Amino acid sequence: MAYRSSFLLQIFANFLINTAEVLALFAMFYQFDSMGGWTLGEVALLHGMSMIAFSLGDMLTIGMDYVAPQIRSGEFDRVLTRPLSSWMNAVTSEINLRHLGQLIQGFLVLTFAFTQVNIDWSVTKVLMLIGAILTGVALFMALFTVEAIFSFWTVNGVEAINAFTYGGSDLAQFPMHVFGRTLRVLFIWIIPVAFVTYYPALYLLDKPDPLGMPGWFVLLGPVITAVFCGVVAWGWNQGIRHYRSTGS
Amino acid sequence: MTMISVRDLRKTFPIKKHAGGFVGSLASLFRSEYEGEFEAVKGISFNIERGEMVGYIGPNGAGKSTTIKMLTGILVPTSGEATVAGMVPWETRKQLALKIGVVFGQRTQLWWDLALIESLELLKYMYRVPDDRFQHNLNTATELLGLEEFLRTPVRQLSLGQRMRGDLTAALLHDPEILYLDEPTIGLDIVAKAAIRDFLSELNRARQTTVLLTTHDLDDIEQLCPRIMVIDHGDVMYDGGLSDLKQRWGGRRQLIVDFASEPDVAISELTNGNLEVISIDGPRATIAFDRDSLSAPEVLSRAGAYGDIRDMSLQEPDIEDVIKRMYAGKIPAGV
Repeated sequence: MAYRSSFLLQIFANFLINTAEVLALFAMFYQFDSMGGWTLGEVALLHGMSMIAFSLGDMLTIGMDYVAPQIRSGEFDRVLTRPLSSWMNAVTSEINLRHLGQLIQGFLVLTFAFTQVNIDWSVTKVLMLIGAILTGVALFMALFTVEAIFSFWTVNGVEAINAFTYGGSDLAQFPMHVFGRTLRVLFIWIIPVAFVTYYPALYLLDKPDPLGMPGWFVLLGPVITAVFCGVVAWGWNQGIRHYRSTGS
Repeated sequence: MTMISVRDLRKTFPIKKHAGGFVGSLASLFRSEYEGEFEAVKGISFNIERGEMVGYIGPNGAGKSTTIKMLTGILVPTSGEATVAGMVPWETRKQLALKIGVVFGQRTQLWWDLALIESLELLKYMYRVPDDRFQHNLNTATELLGLEEFLRTPVRQLSLGQRMRGDLTAALLHDPEILYLDEPTIGLDIVAKAAIRDFLSELNRARQTTVLLTTHDLDDIEQLCPRIMVIDHGDVMYDGGLSDLKQRWGGRRQLIVDFASEPDVAISELTNGNLEVISIDGPRATIAFDRDSLSAPEVLSRAGAYGDIRDMSLQEPDIEDVIKRMYAGKIPAGV
């Protein structure tokens, strides 16, 4: 911790921003009793899971934020002279716990959700919760990598990808069936954030899927996520081969 | 044993030209004005044996760094072959990294916010360097490069010379068989340069480390490299000994003569086969001459016929000049 006060302020700011988000949720439920048939506690469960998965995924891939500037300055050379996989090396080149605030908040929201909803706990449900969060962490790590991959071609990062990272985590905070068909297809089959919160939550709450998918459907989550990660890994390797360095 | 083998290695970069100015920038969003290819390295070939120290020299933009980046696996060549320590660099980058050390003079390999010793310990872990080797290499570097006074200083606070010594130590922690140095002495003072050169010759002597070094500093080459390769515009123009190069093609020394007042313009008549009056600037005349057929006092006495000489200085031929002339075609290129 080379810059302690800066570090603490960053976490505090991050905590505040996310507090605003949680307050918005409460404000909404102050006006309406339910959202798509889900209570405040049930939606809070989605919020908590999404926030935990997103903040962990983001903190573990913070190095990806530095890929674009490193490519621009040529410092990415350093990553490629080390005996590690280039992705591991890029990821570990920077460590930043700025989203620790959000992680804490995620746990608070999740705890709140557990006091509001009745979950008939069992071993498989605990495993489901952990599995869902791990799937989410992997998925968000892959999404943050996508943004870095583009910078091998564009040199600057592509902000549009944020629509899928931040957008995906926001979307995962609400029951999937309230969204239109296009968004649902996108976030179930292409960027499978629905498997991070929505389907696991249905299982935890013993709810049937309003969209009509059978119970085992939730188990597809890790599979689709693995495919997604595989595609991202391939893209990363293409990016490395395309790397052009800079004059020195 | 051949450590580095390169066959017809080529690297081209696509280039896009943008029209200048705000409107041009906007236009370039939609289409590039001109697209073409820049051939940074044009099918070069060479071999380097184990334990050789080779100076790789040429002007800026000649393709030196591009070659080294291909030989470390950073860049994938457009075509051609290369093996380094028996491996194809861009295909087995990770395994190769354990066998090579890299120092880029303009950029540090260390972590900016960490103390030097912490950076070194991270690298020890990354390269899985055994404790005894780590201690041994750290001790050697500490002794020869004087590291102890800044071992606990964050890298961002180190002076350029200190940082370079740190970088060199870092690149050698894992006992690499090959060391690539890209302008290791750039911007350093004489003391730091000397320390680094001594360290490198000691390393080469004691461990038979193969060294490929790019530099603009002729002293680096003279003190370290029995063999040099000259590259320009992506082509190897000379590959051989330094003394050979200087003797055959770099034999022109320059005598700078300061007269008390402007010399007689007739001084330019001195120019003949082995002597050339390059410039006359006020009271100062610059005369280049062939070192084999003329001596400096001889040139000086001839110049003395055209005015009162106040002062003089002698410049040995420098490598940049040799390359410039080589490229201009005034002297035969090739080995």
